[in-house]
Amino acid sequence: MDEYAIGLIVALIAVVITFVAAFREKNDIHRLIIADLGEISALVLIALIATDLAEALIIPGLVVGISELLALSEVYLVREHLNRPVKHPFRIEVLDTAPTIIAAILVLYGIVLSGFTGGAVAGTGMIFYFMGKKNAERFALVETVSGYAWALWIVAFFIFMVVPEYWFFAVMLAGGAILAKVTAKMSLIGTMRGEKDV
Amino acid sequence: MFELASSNIGGQELFVLPFGDIVDYFTPYTGALFLFALIFTLICIFSKPEKSMDIVFGTDAIYAKGVTGKDLHFRRFMAIACGIATMGAVTSGDVFNFTLFVSMVGICIIGITASVKNRQVLHTAFNYGIITMLATIPLFGGAAITLAATGTLSIWELSAIAPAMPWIAKALILVGVMGEGMAPFYVAKAELTRAPGAPYVLMIHVSSLLMFLRVVEIILTV
Repeated sequence: MDEYAIGLIVALIAVVITFVAAFREKNDIHRLIIADLGEISALVLIALIATDLAEALIIPGLVVGISELLALSEVYLVREHLNRPVKHPFRIEVLDTAPTIIAAILVLYGIVLSGFTGGAVAGTGMIFYFMGKKNAERFALVETVSGYAWALWIVAFFIFMVVPEYWFFAVMLAGGAILAKVTAKMSLIGTMRGEKDV
Repeated sequence: MFELASSNIGGQELFVLPFGDIVDYFTPYTGALFLFALIFTLICIFSKPEKSMDIVFGTDAIYAKGVTGKDLHFRRFMAIACGIATMGAVTSGDVFNFTLFVSMVGICIIGITASVKNRQVLHTAFNYGIITMLATIPLFGGAAITLAATGTLSIWELSAIAPAMPWIAKALILVGVMGEGMAPFYVAKAELTRAPGAPYVLMIHVSSLLMFLRVVEIILTV
């Protein structure tokens, strides 16, 4: 028996366990989490192919799964009237002092890395900073930066296709733009504290 | 005895739109499905939502429930997105793209259903959503097993070497589409059919029907 068949059998056993759990569970929030586990096993089935194409198929599969999870969580919150803001936000002393220096280190290191990875590292720093600070950010500005960065990223792709001689410029443009975009998008997560519309 | 004129299920291809190796195509069959989806999307864009009337029990009074403002925009947007996803599903020439479009239709149906702020309707939307999430396992699993067994996902390539797709993959995709297309049953259970805004609810039925018709064509072709 080859490795694919063994992996497939293991994955299908996991799927069966997930389905049994989903039908036995009665608590709605637990069923939601079990359904998310099921999505992960669907990704496992794709990942078993273990080619570049499988890698390209995992990302849309993951996006579909996450969007369904977000939509259902929102439905659950509205249904259970859980949309009141949190009364006592999480406060400990280290969150008042540490964020600035850690965020600065992470953002600098992210800029050195550049590209998607750099964006993720810098974004983690920004999340930490915004979580530690009070909620006085300018959402519109962050969104605008993210939007322009995305447009620059697309421009870089057009340069690749139309004038391939300037590939180095396009690589730098795409790397910088995706850094700014991922950082901005991730930093928005840090500003979510359960107020209205977030 | 009976002899079919053509073994080709969908008929001759009328129009082909290649994006690299992802080839969208129209046959008379899928073209008809596409036109059907397009017409209903246009109905959702241009028609005004229906107003439902409630009679106050024991009196002559009647009050009308309408859909207005933000709620209207959201439901109309979701219905249009559902129509576009359906059009993508019926024209797609790639098994994985088909499964992705089917999951998109599922998400849009959750959106249409969940826009009614009624506890029972939200309960139904939640339960349907759980089924949708679980149905993506057989959908993507079927596509992944096809890719592993044949090395391709293109319906053109698969139909050239038919019967190539393992029967288990066909069965999984069919089960997945059944899960995603189960919405009309849930809609019938919900208060949704009595809630205002008829053309948007219609889109749920249309997209579910078209997905079933298309998956039958795919399973018979490959």
